[in-house]
Amino acid sequence: VRELPELFDLGVKARSLAYLFVAGASLGLLTLLLPHDDSVQDLQLYVLAAIAVAVAALIYVQADRISEWQLHLVLAAGTTILSFANYYAGTSTLYPLLYTWTALYAFYFFPLGTALAHIAYIGAAYAVVLAIQDPEGPLIRWLLAVGTPLIAGLLISRMLDRLRAQQLEASESARELRQSEARTRLVLDSSPDAFVTLDRDGIIRTWNVAAERMFGWPASEAIGKPFRALVTPEEFRERHDERRIALVESTDPLATAHFEVELQRRDGGRFPAESTVSRVDVRGEILLAGFIRDVSDSRRRQEEREALMREQAARAEAERVAEMVSGMQLLVDAALAHRTLEDIVSDLVTRVRGVLGADAAAIYLADQGERLVLRAASGGAPGEIDVEPIPFGAGFPGRVAEAREPLLAQDPAPEELPRANLEELEIDSLIGVPLLAEGEVTGVLVVCAAAPRHFSTDDVNLLRLAADRVALAVDHARVYEREHRIAETLQRSLLPDRLPHLPGLAVAARYLPAAAEAEVGGDWYDVLSVPGGGVGLVMGDVAGKGLAAASMVGRLRSALRAYALEGHAPARVVEQLNRLIWTEGDDSQMATLIYVVVDPAEGEVRWVNAGHPPPLLVYGEQLSRYLEGGSSVPLGVLPFPDFQEVTVPMDPGDTVVLYTDGLIERPGEHIDTGMGRLVAVVREAPSEPDLLCEHVLRELVPDGGALDDVALLTLRTIPMADRVRVEFPAAPEALSSMRALLRRWLRHGGGNEQEIAEIVTACGEAATNAIEHAGAGGETPFEVSGLVEGRTVQITIRDYGAWRAPREGDQGRGLSLMRALMDTVEVTPTPEGTTVRLERTLKGKDSNGGPG
Amino acid sequence: VTELVELVIEEREEVVVARVSGELDLAGAPGMGDRIHDSVPTSARALVVDFSELDFIDSSGIAMLFGLARRLGSRRQELRVVARDGRPVARVLQIVEFDRAARVHETLEEALADLVTDT
Repeated sequence: VRELPELFDLGVKARSLAYLFVAGASLGLLTLLLPHDDSVQDLQLYVLAAIAVAVAALIYVQADRISEWQLHLVLAAGTTILSFANYYAGTSTLYPLLYTWTALYAFYFFPLGTALAHIAYIGAAYAVVLAIQDPEGPLIRWLLAVGTPLIAGLLISRMLDRLRAQQLEASESARELRQSEARTRLVLDSSPDAFVTLDRDGIIRTWNVAAERMFGWPASEAIGKPFRALVTPEEFRERHDERRIALVESTDPLATAHFEVELQRRDGGRFPAESTVSRVDVRGEILLAGFIRDVSDSRRRQEEREALMREQAARAEAERVAEMVSGMQLLVDAALAHRTLEDIVSDLVTRVRGVLGADAAAIYLADQGERLVLRAASGGAPGEIDVEPIPFGAGFPGRVAEAREPLLAQDPAPEELPRANLEELEIDSLIGVPLLAEGEVTGVLVVCAAAPRHFSTDDVNLLRLAADRVALAVDHARVYEREHRIAETLQRSLLPDRLPHLPGLAVAARYLPAAAEAEVGGDWYDVLSVPGGGVGLVMGDVAGKGLAAASMVGRLRSALRAYALEGHAPARVVEQLNRLIWTEGDDSQMATLIYVVVDPAEGEVRWVNAGHPPPLLVYGEQLSRYLEGGSSVPLGVLPFPDFQEVTVPMDPGDTVVLYTDGLIERPGEHIDTGMGRLVAVVREAPSEPDLLCEHVLRELVPDGGALDDVALLTLRTIPMADRVRVEFPAAPEALSSMRALLRRWLRHGGGNEQEIAEIVTACGEAATNAIEHAGAGGETPFEVSGLVEGRTVQITIRDYGAWRAPREGDQGRGLSLMRALMDTVEVTPTPEGTTVRLERTLKGKDSNGGPG
Repeated sequence: VTELVELVIEEREEVVVARVSGELDLAGAPGMGDRIHDSVPTSARALVVDFSELDFIDSSGIAMLFGLARRLGSRRQELRVVARDGRPVARVLQIVEFDRAARVHETLEEALADLVTDT
């Protein structure tokens, strides 16, 4: 059962009841004024009429404050007054008919149930009146008085119900209409497109929010004006009229037209627009409803169209494509980072082929002279890539590069194909898209489709998107490669390309750049002869990477060499380097460094350590220990740190191992673990430095490369044998090295200090001759070989220059020195060079004996 | 370890003392003669080349020494050499009979005292 709405509010009901009371009272008074029966008690009736009027006045005044139950009470009071009137008027009047009025009121204004209650009260009240007045009176009187209003009331009630139902329906449909209108308005206002309706004369009737935005005219100003005058540029107004009239007069009730138009904003600015206009018949009135879309952004227009087309054509296909495009984006962003250009293009060419579902793809990259070189190709039988450069403008890729626009070629000639081996694929369709970076053509991307597939303009657009990514990746890779190359070249130029030849010492070094590093690190090492026959070993690590670090390495290296060759002690050298980095570097510049001087003649190793991992000394039967002492802060941390020099003995056959942290450090691991690992690996390693380096790197550098740069430098003092044979450069500076070696060897051979000094002096004379024979530009080294047989020492110094006869003076003095100091001196000049053979029998024993 | 060869010049009244330490060979000797000679003013009466701390000398060092003796002699300035007996340098000086060009002393004090008594 549906709740029916109230038709009247309480005020109306109250005032109606007041009128009813007044009408009843008037009728009663009228009866009294007319000639009437004597049984009528006039006075009482006047009083009742007065009461009725008073009640009417009261409820009329209180009409807006009255409540429903008060109305019922008043209506019941009315019935009571009427019943008294019937009593005082006797049976001669028509007063019983007045019950019909109250009953009808009840039925009219109250629900059926309460109306029936009022009827019941009427019946009861009148029954009482009749019982007193006329107990013998016929029942018909009562029935007439009560039955008539009951029947009439029921009829009215039914009628009213129907009326109410109709009204309800009407109000509901009105509400729905309002809601629907609100919805429509909302949709239209939130539409990005302008929605405009015109009447048949072109006068604007509707103008949504988007239209306000698009044209700059508020709805209040636009509505009522002709569309053509407001937004159609003058030269198009005639055409607008023609189109409008054609639509209005169309016989098709659902006529719709699509236009591409140019429209004008309030500020005079024009923009291209697309409009879709429908003819609408609204209750006989012809309206033109149009959606207008601003398509001034041509790319957006293109993309929206493409998106629309793709969506319509195959949503699934579009999603697959989108997935691939995003897959490629991912590839470009992450996976391709820090890889070589070669890897990137060969990877991309496969990806692009996948995205387009093409049968083959190729990437050409432009060189300096506007020529394209095929760098990667995918699809077809595997074959050699043709690297013959193609000038811009020649061939299919050349034409693309020249046009700087995508080109689509159907049924290409075989010579147009990127690779000869693609012919068998029966390629029917080609797309070429230029790769652009900062406006320059950096290459061309070509994809090929075999029959029956033919590429469409959709494919061109998709490939254009792909080409943007490829161009970006290629550009990044090129920039990266260039920087990497510069830094690497710089660093290579800073590392010694050839380790110096050190008599009696074997040195080996390795430098491994990190596997995945974009930039070259600041690891470096150096080996240099220091005055006095020692060998300086340097291992350093400049914080940071790239060119800045490499250039700091360069400065440190040349400064160290300069200070060391001036003969400064290691601690002093490192102090100088600290001063250099402290004053020259920026605040963040910092470097660790260890400077080790091996003095084989003295049999000791000295070092200064500025924050670097400690060197490893391998001694005895593959025992090893870290040279922990002498550790100080890294360079560049304090202005005047205290660098301590530490010296420990180093015997022939011992090895010093220097390295950078990249060798021992692993992520998430304590450094002691890595240092322990190095000790274990060295224990198993061969003692020869070159083999030792190989072994250590093989064991400690993971397959696929180290995480950080690794530098490794090892030096071994070769144990002295009875036979020695060493080459020296023909330069005066070699003399001290030679003497140092010979001293060590002669000590090993059992000579005393006196003998050693004398033999070394004699050998020095022979070597001085050898150096002088080689001449000023002498590059050929001279060779020193020695042999101890029993107590006899034989030393041969061989050079490859021309022997000069001893002149009176210097050289002659040299020869006489040799003769004085040695038992035998033989000089054998040949056209190829000169050999000096020296021999002496050692006395040994009295090692600090007096003069010979 | 410092420089291979080092020179310290000291002037004492009319005598210049040149202390040469380290190792004197073809790498250092040729320049050494000029450096020492340039440090001796014409007003000086004598030059003492002190080899007490020299560990090594070869024929190029000896040639330098003979050169100095010649140049000083032409200016009538005296040359004395100090080389400790038993050291390799003294042995070499002995072999080349350097005492025929200039007197060789055991110590610097002895050389200076000898120069004083000479006057």
